[in-house]
Amino acid sequence: MTQPVRAFGARTILSHGGGDVAVSRHEIERMTHIKTIADAPLSPAEPAEGRRRGIWSRLGPSNPAVFPWVLMAPTLIVLFAIGVYPFLYALYIAGHNVILSKPYVPRFFVGLYQYQAVIQDPEFWSALKTTIWFTVQAVFIEFWLGLGLALLFQRRLLGAGIMRVFILIPMILPPLVAALIWRYMFYPGAGLVTYYGGGVTRALGWGEIPFLSDPTIAFHTLVFVDVWEWTPFMFLMMSAGLASIPRQPYEAAEIDGASAWRVFWTITMPLLRPAMLIAVVIRTMDAFRTYELIVVMTRGGPGNATTTLNVYLTKTGLEFFDASKAAAISLVMMMVIIVMSFVFIRALRSRTETAE
Amino acid sequence: MTKQRIRHALVSALALSVMGAPGAFAQTDAQKALAGREIRFLQPSMPQFAALGKFIPEFQEKYGIKVTVDEIPFDQYRQKSLVEMQQGTGTYDIYAVDVMWLAEYAAAGFLQPLMPYVKNPNLTDEGYDIDDFLPRVISGTGVYNDTLYTIPLGAGPVGTTFRKDVAEAAGIQMPKRFSPEFTTDFMYKAAEKVHKPESGMIGFAQMPGRWFWGVTYLPYLYAFQTPKTKGDEYVDKNWRITINNKQTIDSIDYFVKFKKFMPADSANWGIGEATAVYQSGNAFGLWNYQDFIKGFFEDPNAQKAVAGKNVHLHTPAGPHGVIDPWFGAWSFGLSKDSTKKEAAWVFIQWMTSKKIQERATEFGAGPSRHSTYKSVTLAKFQPWWVDVYEFMLKETNPDERIRVPEWAEISDIMGEEGSRVWIGEINSATAVENMQKRMSAVMRRGGYYVPGRTDLPPQHWRDLSYYDRLPSTWK
Repeated sequence: MTQPVRAFGARTILSHGGGDVAVSRHEIERMTHIKTIADAPLSPAEPAEGRRRGIWSRLGPSNPAVFPWVLMAPTLIVLFAIGVYPFLYALYIAGHNVILSKPYVPRFFVGLYQYQAVIQDPEFWSALKTTIWFTVQAVFIEFWLGLGLALLFQRRLLGAGIMRVFILIPMILPPLVAALIWRYMFYPGAGLVTYYGGGVTRALGWGEIPFLSDPTIAFHTLVFVDVWEWTPFMFLMMSAGLASIPRQPYEAAEIDGASAWRVFWTITMPLLRPAMLIAVVIRTMDAFRTYELIVVMTRGGPGNATTTLNVYLTKTGLEFFDASKAAAISLVMMMVIIVMSFVFIRALRSRTETAE
Repeated sequence: MTKQRIRHALVSALALSVMGAPGAFAQTDAQKALAGREIRFLQPSMPQFAALGKFIPEFQEKYGIKVTVDEIPFDQYRQKSLVEMQQGTGTYDIYAVDVMWLAEYAAAGFLQPLMPYVKNPNLTDEGYDIDDFLPRVISGTGVYNDTLYTIPLGAGPVGTTFRKDVAEAAGIQMPKRFSPEFTTDFMYKAAEKVHKPESGMIGFAQMPGRWFWGVTYLPYLYAFQTPKTKGDEYVDKNWRITINNKQTIDSIDYFVKFKKFMPADSANWGIGEATAVYQSGNAFGLWNYQDFIKGFFEDPNAQKAVAGKNVHLHTPAGPHGVIDPWFGAWSFGLSKDSTKKEAAWVFIQWMTSKKIQERATEFGAGPSRHSTYKSVTLAKFQPWWVDVYEFMLKETNPDERIRVPEWAEISDIMGEEGSRVWIGEINSATAVENMQKRMSAVMRRGGYYVPGRTDLPPQHWRDLSYYDRLPSTWK
């Protein structure tokens, strides 16, 4: 039996028992008595429905080159609208001199001036230092507390279910509500903590503790509240990671008589690294952007002791309405977060590979 | 005789009812046509707005215009209002405008000039009488570039409030308002004398929070000026920053000296914290703003511990006898993007009318009209206003804080550096050096030092007669 296999220029290759033979269109028409329309112009009277069906079939599953893009299109459009476009617009704004409260000031291209202004601003460096220090302290404590709790809850504990719910409550609260609760807990002289804590410290002869008034103590008060709020997240991630570790390595270690400490460092930690990586990267990015907690509790004060990059950015953008400088700050922040995440991922991956 | 008496009584009753009725002035056809409209008003959360808010139902009933009020905490108000204004969507028809932000709002074109509305008899009630406003109050509050943009709903100085009973018990004779005897030295010594934290009484509740320096520290910046340096507190005639001087250093040191009376955890205290301590009867004195007195200290139902026990003074005179000419005011501004400007104006003119201004003083609103100052209602419900009249007429200075669009940044710099002195991070000399550098940078970015620039704003505080023009003569 002769079958057309593939087209090759103006000729068609026919395959049959004796091998491939190239034939022209006219020869095919002569053999099959069917008139081909390859060169005939499309009829303008073709029904619209047919055309539509053609478009859909070109975009449908029958077209593997296009169909995946069709499926991804809604996501891509949303990503472009809320990610790519704002990013490009921020780049544009940061290259100009836009002050929203002064629409009468002529706008013009200023090159890298806004980045220079940010880098030359001592408040930026102070805020960057505060942000990094806050992030490192908070994430470090949250990580170890979360891991410790997750390991504890691996054992059979009485009332573990209820305790888990209580542990997760801070994370469920909206950050603004949590910040307000703590603000009133630390309200000078009248908050739950300041009133009773002050009573105790006064009785001990230490006087009142300036929870939100001393630069160092205010900073650590904020770290404490962040740890209270986000340790549950670490606990959740670590619990999920621990649940995914197979039992066999532990059984083998038990047979070998390995100590609990050795089991933790040689089995639990290496196998938990993927979960740790995700949890630490997410929390680091989040802690780096902390805003509500600081604004509600200290407004960046006293002085600028708790002014983080996000507080500095918001003040520049929404109090001074310097949109261009704010855009430059946000782009610098984005770069810092990307670099930090990259370093984390590289460090944790290399350790995982070494362990394997 | 009896018939005649009855007739007289009826005529008198009718006349009184017409005079006293809320809708004494008949509505014009143009006003009637606005019935059914809905306007939105953005305001900060403050006692004087709460006082005026009591009259909104009456306005709605009279004009048939629905008013929706959105209230924002004071310290977030500027941010919210500017975000709304620069979006240009016209969500709000009326904005409450602080005297310090007029330049920023008006220069940006966010507000509608009001004089054409004032002079439109179809929209403005008969008897509105724009010239009844104190000249310095209306021009200081609402005039920018010779154009009237807002109408005041109350204006006043800042001052200090003290517990009269505590002073008497300690043998301190508190001076009268504006008395030259009330000096910075007197105030500190009095606070020191009554300061007994172990008995629950602190000498003075200062407000050193970073955000508040721009309002609570400034009276001392002025008080420490010499007659020669008055007017050059921030800038010289060429707009060069002048903050780095002995007067600023001394005033910061004086302000920070009050830390001695404050609890350890007070570096972030603002109006809320300090006022709460005073209201609970645990402080001898604190900063106040004239419009807050009724709502914060003298409401017998809300402030049982302190109402009726206070003496309200101006801020103290400094070592050279200079007192702060503070001018604080809030006003109604009409949004340029409002689609219901006429209805919004009818609301503004009604709220700032003689009648409502007077009646609102019963609930804590402050005066800005001659007639309100002279009214029996004000003298009865807020007697502490009476001796402020002459000050607001002749002494006050609307540019006491320089009213430039850069003020928010200048104030923030002052707060940050001052707050660092309060917590002991730096000393006052370093703080004013930093202020000098940073404020200069702000002014440079604002274009004040562009060589050859000839359109720099006028410095009206050097000749206050600018603000004394008859209100109706503004554009």
